[in-house]
Amino acid sequence: MAEVAYVNASRIFSGNPPVRAVDQLQLDVADGEFLVLVGPSGSGKSTALRMLAGLEDVDEGAIEIGGKDVTNVPPKGRDIAMVFQSYALYPHMTVAENMGFALKLRGVAKAQIKEQVAEAAKMLDLTKYLDRKPKALSGGQRQRVAMGRAIVREPSVFLMDEPLSNLDAKLRVETRANIAALQQRLGTTTIYVTHDQVEAMTMGHRVAVLKDGLLQQCDTPRALYDHPANAFVAGFIGSPAMNLKTVPLTAEGAKLDGIVVPLSRAALDKASGESLGEVTFGIRPEALALVSSEEQGMNMTVELVEELGADALVHGAVKIGEGTERFVVRVDGRTPPTLGQQVKVAVRDTTEIHLFHPESGDRLEA
Amino acid sequence: MTSAVGVRPKKSAGSLPPGSGLGGKHDRPRDRALRGALHTFLGLTCLVWIAPLLWAVYASLRSYDDTAQHGYFSLPSKLTFANFAKAWTSADLPHYYLNTLLITIPALLITLLFSSLVAFCVSRFNFKFNLALLMLFTAGNLLPQQVIIVPIYRLFLLTPVPSWLSDSGYLLDSQFGLVLVHVAFQTGFCTFVLSNYMKTIPHELTEAARVDGASVFRQYWQVILPLCRPALAALGTLEFAWIYNDFMWAIVLIQTGDKMPITSALASLSGQFFTDYNLVAAGSLLTALPSLIVFFVLQRQFIGGLTLGSTKG
Repeated sequence: MAEVAYVNASRIFSGNPPVRAVDQLQLDVADGEFLVLVGPSGSGKSTALRMLAGLEDVDEGAIEIGGKDVTNVPPKGRDIAMVFQSYALYPHMTVAENMGFALKLRGVAKAQIKEQVAEAAKMLDLTKYLDRKPKALSGGQRQRVAMGRAIVREPSVFLMDEPLSNLDAKLRVETRANIAALQQRLGTTTIYVTHDQVEAMTMGHRVAVLKDGLLQQCDTPRALYDHPANAFVAGFIGSPAMNLKTVPLTAEGAKLDGIVVPLSRAALDKASGESLGEVTFGIRPEALALVSSEEQGMNMTVELVEELGADALVHGAVKIGEGTERFVVRVDGRTPPTLGQQVKVAVRDTTEIHLFHPESGDRLEA
Repeated sequence: MTSAVGVRPKKSAGSLPPGSGLGGKHDRPRDRALRGALHTFLGLTCLVWIAPLLWAVYASLRSYDDTAQHGYFSLPSKLTFANFAKAWTSADLPHYYLNTLLITIPALLITLLFSSLVAFCVSRFNFKFNLALLMLFTAGNLLPQQVIIVPIYRLFLLTPVPSWLSDSGYLLDSQFGLVLVHVAFQTGFCTFVLSNYMKTIPHELTEAARVDGASVFRQYWQVILPLCRPALAALGTLEFAWIYNDFMWAIVLIQTGDKMPITSALASLSGQFFTDYNLVAAGSLLTALPSLIVFFVLQRQFIGGLTLGSTKG
């Protein structure tokens, strides 16, 4: 058990120009916390994890585990265990040997290794497979062995690098819940890397969003969803993605096709303070609704209807200014509009509107 | 290769453009004739290739008197295994088999150990002279060994070694010296092959081992080396044959007859004024036997060793 801290840690890959894969990362993870690092590919999330593991150099700043500076400590001195995306099981060792390898290297007595491996295997439902080689296991079983290898060591920090990305969709959802439950039970500090924002939202106590090596925001899933710090986080978190459009600003609010959406005083003041003529206007598909033709709303031509069962996602084109913009609306699954139909879309709840600076992308209100 | 070129249809093969359906149909009997010619040619080539060996087998089964009287191109009056028995005892073959074993096995093991260590280093770690080192080892293969016979001979002549390693007191005329020469010349090739093989082993495995707390040597010994078993088996087979079959270095560097490996020791079967070629043939065949056995038993590894490292995986 230990807390983890990135203290302005950077990783710079040589090249012309040099690439700052992780740039001045400042992040504190509490003891026992499940923190998810999420971001698109190339955002530096895996590099950040590898820096913590000691597999990647730290070029600037420091990394602390349990209050101790481990920046220059090799992996074996950090008391961490890592689950790799490819699992990295030793192909020539049996499941039991794979799980007990780290203990064997530490000189733990054979009987005790056996006991600890058996215990972890029981927890992960692997007891039957202890004598098998990884080759003879299914993808899900291999994933569990990789987890088991990490658990057996009872490390102070778990590091997981996209451990579910090689599983099929159904198994992924199942394993997702298992990992979260396991972490809850063991209470071990866990840093989990994923590119999948659903995984991030469902598993993490807190989620850190990275982009181009820079930390965008780190908060609870709820707070990320409700108050994204910038347009990138707003677009990245949530599925389907938030509708983010740059629209002209008037004295009353944001001007969309046919309607002016009233904005909060604070946001308007901030926008006028910076004398902005436009804002990036964001609204989630579920905060929009289809209304009858008499009511006020934007005219939308339906281009695609995705039926998900409980709801349906309606994609359509709306005229804004000179061009057309595509919007997504989440509607009741039982009565979706048909393709090519003209519908009216209104904002259901004005408190769910997010405003961002059109250039910097920063959130406009507090 | 040349045979394939030889039977390729000439331009006059058909008035129709190649690839047209009609032409193909029309050419079929012609193709068959060509294939027949090809097979005849290949069969004959095989025969020419294997003829010396077959002839040696034939000669070894005849007595000296028989061939002296009727010549080597004659039908036998009697076939006998006497020559094999005689070669076995009079040339003291068991002793020389043992000599060869004492040279080949250590040379093989040391070569594989050294080359796997270098290969591990150049394929798993990023350092400045990484590629240069690998190139050095690979380039060493291109040097014809014969070119440096004289310098090596001089070097061995002048290098003293403790008497428990060599009773001559020098590297020259010692089996230890011969082992060193083989290790030196074979390590380059093995390094090249093994490093290519090791490059195909995912880096995550050594990273996982590092996180598990394995030292660099542990990573080599307990993770990478066990995974190189197919490559090591293939190389081991190939190298065994190469070192076993060496004749030149043994002739040059060993001067005392009873220290020679079997290949060079065969020379003792031929006298200064008189040589019983039937006996020499029998001895040669006995000498070639282990190579052949290793080849046939481990054929797959042998061929694997030749093609390994040329392709990934």
